[in-house]
Amino acid sequence: MKFDFDVIAKNLPYLLSGVKFTIALACLVIILGTFLGVIFGILKLSKNRLIRYPVSFIVELTRDTPIIMQMFFIFFGLPALGIRLNTFPSAALAMSFFAAGNTAEIVRGAIDSLPTGQFDAAKSLGMNYLQMMIYVIIPQALRRMLPPMMGLFTTLIKDTSLAAIIGAFELTRAGQEIIERTFRSLEIYLVVAAIYFIICYPLSYYTRKVEKGRVTGF
Amino acid sequence: MGLGKSPNPILFPMGYQLDPSIVIKHLPLFLKGVFLTVEISFFAIVIGLSIGILAAVARTSKFKILNLISAVYVEVFRNTPLLIQIFIIFFGLPGIGIKLSPYISGLTALVLYVGAYNTEVIRSGLEAVPRGQMEAAKSLGLTGVQAFLYIILPQTVRISLPALGNNWVSLVKNSSLVSVIGMVELTWVALDLNALTFRSFELFGAATIFYLILIFILINIQNFVERRFAYKT
Repeated sequence: MKFDFDVIAKNLPYLLSGVKFTIALACLVIILGTFLGVIFGILKLSKNRLIRYPVSFIVELTRDTPIIMQMFFIFFGLPALGIRLNTFPSAALAMSFFAAGNTAEIVRGAIDSLPTGQFDAAKSLGMNYLQMMIYVIIPQALRRMLPPMMGLFTTLIKDTSLAAIIGAFELTRAGQEIIERTFRSLEIYLVVAAIYFIICYPLSYYTRKVEKGRVTGF
Repeated sequence: MGLGKSPNPILFPMGYQLDPSIVIKHLPLFLKGVFLTVEISFFAIVIGLSIGILAAVARTSKFKILNLISAVYVEVFRNTPLLIQIFIIFFGLPGIGIKLSPYISGLTALVLYVGAYNTEVIRSGLEAVPRGQMEAAKSLGLTGVQAFLYIILPQTVRISLPALGNNWVSLVKNSSLVSVIGMVELTWVALDLNALTFRSFELFGAATIFYLILIFILINIQNFVERRFAYKT
């Protein structure tokens, strides 16, 4: 079989229209997931078991099951509860929970890794919980959170491809639609992979730089 | 069926009747799926570890060309979605005359994907082994290969175990993706039964629980191995 560059050139605009949705989905998931995840992470550190256990349960549930299982559950399963969501919102919701669970674990790990002296010192200065968190703990924890969070973002961008399985339109789905018309799987999927690579590689390259910088910075 | 007759009107406002018996009825099929998920994960863990070690050695070797090949492999497979890799191997490769069965395609994709992640982990493990270890081994008269196999590698694996464990948990979750090319594993079973019975809530709930159990067992094995091989102080 001859490698067909024509089919790539002709369909590139359609693929790029898919990229828009991939990026929109990734941004939505990253924002929603980080927001929820920080809340979960802080709640997970709560001393009250009635708060800590349910939150830990949600976090483990999202971390330890495949994302597509969560997508299927939301897309096919939730209508049983009378909640009917379209493909795109279903994918976004499932991935946001996945992102939140992982973020929570990163937040908890970062706060846990701070020396207890930081908490004692903040309290002995007369700060309340909120002040301690905002002025002392979070700024330090943020620095430790940054590399794993960026790694998570790369994973999330790649995992937006799973939305295609329930039929949400994004880059992978755009590729599938073109292949249904042209039967040029190899060319189209290679281009799709290349587009994902172009989006993800700078992020993972920068992540490594931050990781290295952090090691020497401390 | 017993539960099915008294639906909870608050939980299921649409009058959906929860029927867990569907899962029990199809339990053998589910267990078959679980078995295949375990099987493919196991093979991918073993082969992926070997690839990770080989590629990590190549990555840290003095030969520029090996170094480059390994770096390209790691970056390409880490920065593209696994789903697309599976599609390329299963749907794309026949275009150039390479036809692989769903099982082999899925396993190949999983192995290459987890191998790339393992490479990064093992490479940093290799770098974490003190330089003196190699020198001491050589001064005891071991050859380079012997020193690597008996002195460096065991320490590397020990250092890398926690991070490798994370990769394995991701791997078991990622094995769900091979259902899209028709491998009859856990996710495929749930999807197939869903198409037949429309009992989505119960079926995907059951599959979720099966995955939770699998991951729970894996994490416990990993913790056990980690404790077993921990540095005794």
